[in-house]
Amino acid sequence: MRTDLSIKVPLITLVGPPNSGKTTLFNTLSGKNYKTANYPGSTVEYYTSRFLAKYNLTAELLDSPGIVSLLPESIDEKISVESLYSHPSLGTPDLLISTVDSCQLSRHLLLPKQLINSGFNVIIVVTMNDILAKRGLKVSESKLSKALNCDVVVINGRTKQGIEKLIDTINSNFSRNNETGKKSIVPYSYLHDKKDLVDTFKEIEEIINEVYEPLASKENINLSLANNELKILETKISNNGFSPDEITLKIDSVLLHRFWGFLIFLIVMGITFTSIFWLAQPLMNLVDELFTNLNSLVINNFDPGWFTFLVSDGIISGTGSVLVFVPQILILFLILGLLEDSGYLARGAMLIDKPLSKIGLNGRSFVPMLSGFACAIPAMIAARTIPNRRERLFTIFIIPLMSCSARLPVYALLIAYLIPHGNAWMGGIILGGIYLLSMISSIVVAGVMNKFTKKLFNADDTSSFILELPSYRIPKLSSVITNTYNSSKQYILRAGPIILGFSLILWFLTFFPNINPEVEKTGLTVEQTQNLERAERLEHSYASGLGKIIQPFMSPIGMDWRIGVSLISAFAAREVFVSSLALTFKVTTEGGDDQSTLLNSLRNAKIEATGEKLFTVATSVGLIVFFMFALQCLSTVAVSKKETGGWKIPILQVVIFTSLAYVMTFITVNGLRFLGIQ
Amino acid sequence: MRTAAELKFKESGIISEIDVSHPSSKRIIEHGFTPGQIIEVVNQSLFNDPIAVSIRGTLIALRKSEAFCIKLK
Repeated sequence: MRTDLSIKVPLITLVGPPNSGKTTLFNTLSGKNYKTANYPGSTVEYYTSRFLAKYNLTAELLDSPGIVSLLPESIDEKISVESLYSHPSLGTPDLLISTVDSCQLSRHLLLPKQLINSGFNVIIVVTMNDILAKRGLKVSESKLSKALNCDVVVINGRTKQGIEKLIDTINSNFSRNNETGKKSIVPYSYLHDKKDLVDTFKEIEEIINEVYEPLASKENINLSLANNELKILETKISNNGFSPDEITLKIDSVLLHRFWGFLIFLIVMGITFTSIFWLAQPLMNLVDELFTNLNSLVINNFDPGWFTFLVSDGIISGTGSVLVFVPQILILFLILGLLEDSGYLARGAMLIDKPLSKIGLNGRSFVPMLSGFACAIPAMIAARTIPNRRERLFTIFIIPLMSCSARLPVYALLIAYLIPHGNAWMGGIILGGIYLLSMISSIVVAGVMNKFTKKLFNADDTSSFILELPSYRIPKLSSVITNTYNSSKQYILRAGPIILGFSLILWFLTFFPNINPEVEKTGLTVEQTQNLERAERLEHSYASGLGKIIQPFMSPIGMDWRIGVSLISAFAAREVFVSSLALTFKVTTEGGDDQSTLLNSLRNAKIEATGEKLFTVATSVGLIVFFMFALQCLSTVAVSKKETGGWKIPILQVVIFTSLAYVMTFITVNGLRFLGIQ
Repeated sequence: MRTAAELKFKESGIISEIDVSHPSSKRIIEHGFTPGQIIEVVNQSLFNDPIAVSIRGTLIALRKSEAFCIKLK
C-alpha cells in the first residue's frame, strides 16, 4: 500500500505496564510483521508496524517499552517516557492506546490516569477479561469510560473478541479529533510528585468500586444467585482489588517454599542448562556437517583458484560458524520463553536475588548470565530487562566469563588430548570441573570488579528489586515460538555480519600472500595434496607473520607462534581454534577434522627453537585456562558496544579478560612445571 | 512503628504511610503500595529476602531493604 508522502500518517503508540497484554495486542494488530527501531543514542528499542490490511486503517503503530507510570527513574525509562511526548523520528503520537489488565485495574489504571491528566488522546484497552469472567465479573466499558472521560474498549487477546470494536473506536476518535483539533499536552514535569501518585491511586480506588459488574450468564440465573454474586463482588473487590489467584498461591507454597523452593529452582535451571547442550548438539552437528560438505563440494568442483577458496573457506565456512549456534539459541529461548510465559522466571529471579546482590548484581541478572553459557550475544541483549543501569552494565560486563558453547569444541579437543585412552567418564568429570571452575572464577572476578563498578560505569547506585510475580498460567506456545524466532533473527542479523566479515578478514590473512605454494606431490592423493598446500600457504601467510610477532608473548606460557596463529584465528569464533590447529600442524588427512589424526600430530609437535615437546600437560591445561577467561569473540565485542552505548566497556572487557587469561595461563603453566608436571 | 520488612510469613498489615525519603519509595508507590491498603507476606525465599507480598490482588517481590519504607498501622 502506497500513501501520498505529503499526508502524514497518524501515529498510534501502545503503552502499558508489563503483563498488561500490550505485546499480544501489538501482535494482533500488526500481524507480527514489524520492524525494530532504536531510540537514537540509547539501547531502548521500539517496534513499529502498520495495521494489518484487513483492519483497513492507515496508521503507524508503535510498541513502546513497558512502563508503570509517567515518572521515570532510570535513564532508559526517561527515554521511554520522553518518547511518548515526542518520538525523535516519529513525532508526537496522535493517539495512545493504553492497555490494562482487567483483574489489576486497581494498579494498572495509574498510567492511563496520568496520561489523561497530561492531556493525551487516550483509548483504554481492557485485556484478559476471560480471566475476570472466571470470577463471574466483567468491566463495564460505559462506566469506566464515563469515570475517566475517555474511550474504553474491552478485548480478549486470545479470541480476538473486541478488536473490531477497537478499530471502530480508533476511527471515530480520529474523525472526532479532526473536528475539534488536538488538545495540548502538559509537559510531564507537572506530575513530579509522590503525593500526586497517592492521590491518583485514591481516585482510582473510587473508580474501580463502580466499574466491575457481575457477568450475566447465558442461562437465566435466579435472583438469589445474582444477589450472591453481588455480595461476592462487594467483599472481593472493596478498595483492595481482588484477592490473589488461589491456584497461584498454592503453587507458590511449593515453588517458593523456604527450603524446597531453592532446590527446585536449582533443578529447573540445571535441566534448562543441560538441555541447551543435549538437545542442541545433534542439530549443531547437522549444521556443521552441512557446511563442511558444502565447502568440499565447492573445492572439489571448481578450479582451486583464490576465488574458489574465498567462497569455500571464507564465505561458506564463515556462514557456517554463524549458523552453527542457531539451534542452541533457538532451544535456549524456547525454554526460557516457556518458563517466562508460565510465570516461573520472575520467581527464579526472586530466589537468586540475595546471593547475586552480594556481588553487585541483581536477581534479574540471572537469566542473562545463564544465557551466557549458550552464547554471549543473546545474553547481552537479554540484560535489557535489568532496570538499574549500573547492574545492567555490570551484568553485560561479566557475561563473557560464562563458558559459552563455542568453547566446548576447544575443551573437547584438549581433554581428548589429556586423556588419551578414551576414558569417557574422566572426560566428563574434567569438563564438569571446567564449568564449575569457570562459574567460581566468574563469581570471584565479579566480586572483585564490584568494588570498582561505581567508578567504571558512572551510574547511580540505588539497587532495587521490585518485581511483579504474575499469576501462573499455561504458556502460550505460539507466542513463545514467535519470540524465539525473533530473538534468533536478531542474533543472525546482529552477530552474523560481524562473524562473517571477520571470517573473511581472517581468511584473507591466512590465505595471502602465498597463493600458490609448491609442495611435493608424489605418492599423495588429491586431497592430501590440497591439505598440504593449505598448511604451506598458512605457514607463509600474513597471519603467521602476526603469530611470529606475538612469539615473545607465547614463550613465557610455554607455547609458540603456531598456537598464537590459532588463537588469533579464534577471534572470529572460538571454535575456529580447532580447525586452525589442524591447519597449522599440517594434518594431512581427509576431511581435515579427524580428531585422532589431529591428536597424533599435536603429540609429535615440537617447539621449533628448542625441540622440546610443545603440547605438554602443562601447556594443554594452560590453554584450557586461557579459553576460560579470554574475551576473543569479536561479535561479543560488537554487541557489547551496541548494548552499553559506547566503546568503554567492550574495550575494558577485552583488555581485562584477555590479560587476566594470560596471567592465569602463565601461573598455571609455570605452576604445573614447578610441581614437576610437564 | 512496624514496617512491612518485619512482617512474618502469612502475616498481614495495613499500610499507614510510605517513607518518601527512601530511594525506592516512588517505585513502591507506583506498584500500588499506598496508605490504607492491606498487604500480606505470602512467601519468603531461602535467604528470607526478598519477600513476596500480596497487594491489590497481585503478588510483588521486593527486598527487605525496600519493604522497610512501607510503614504499617
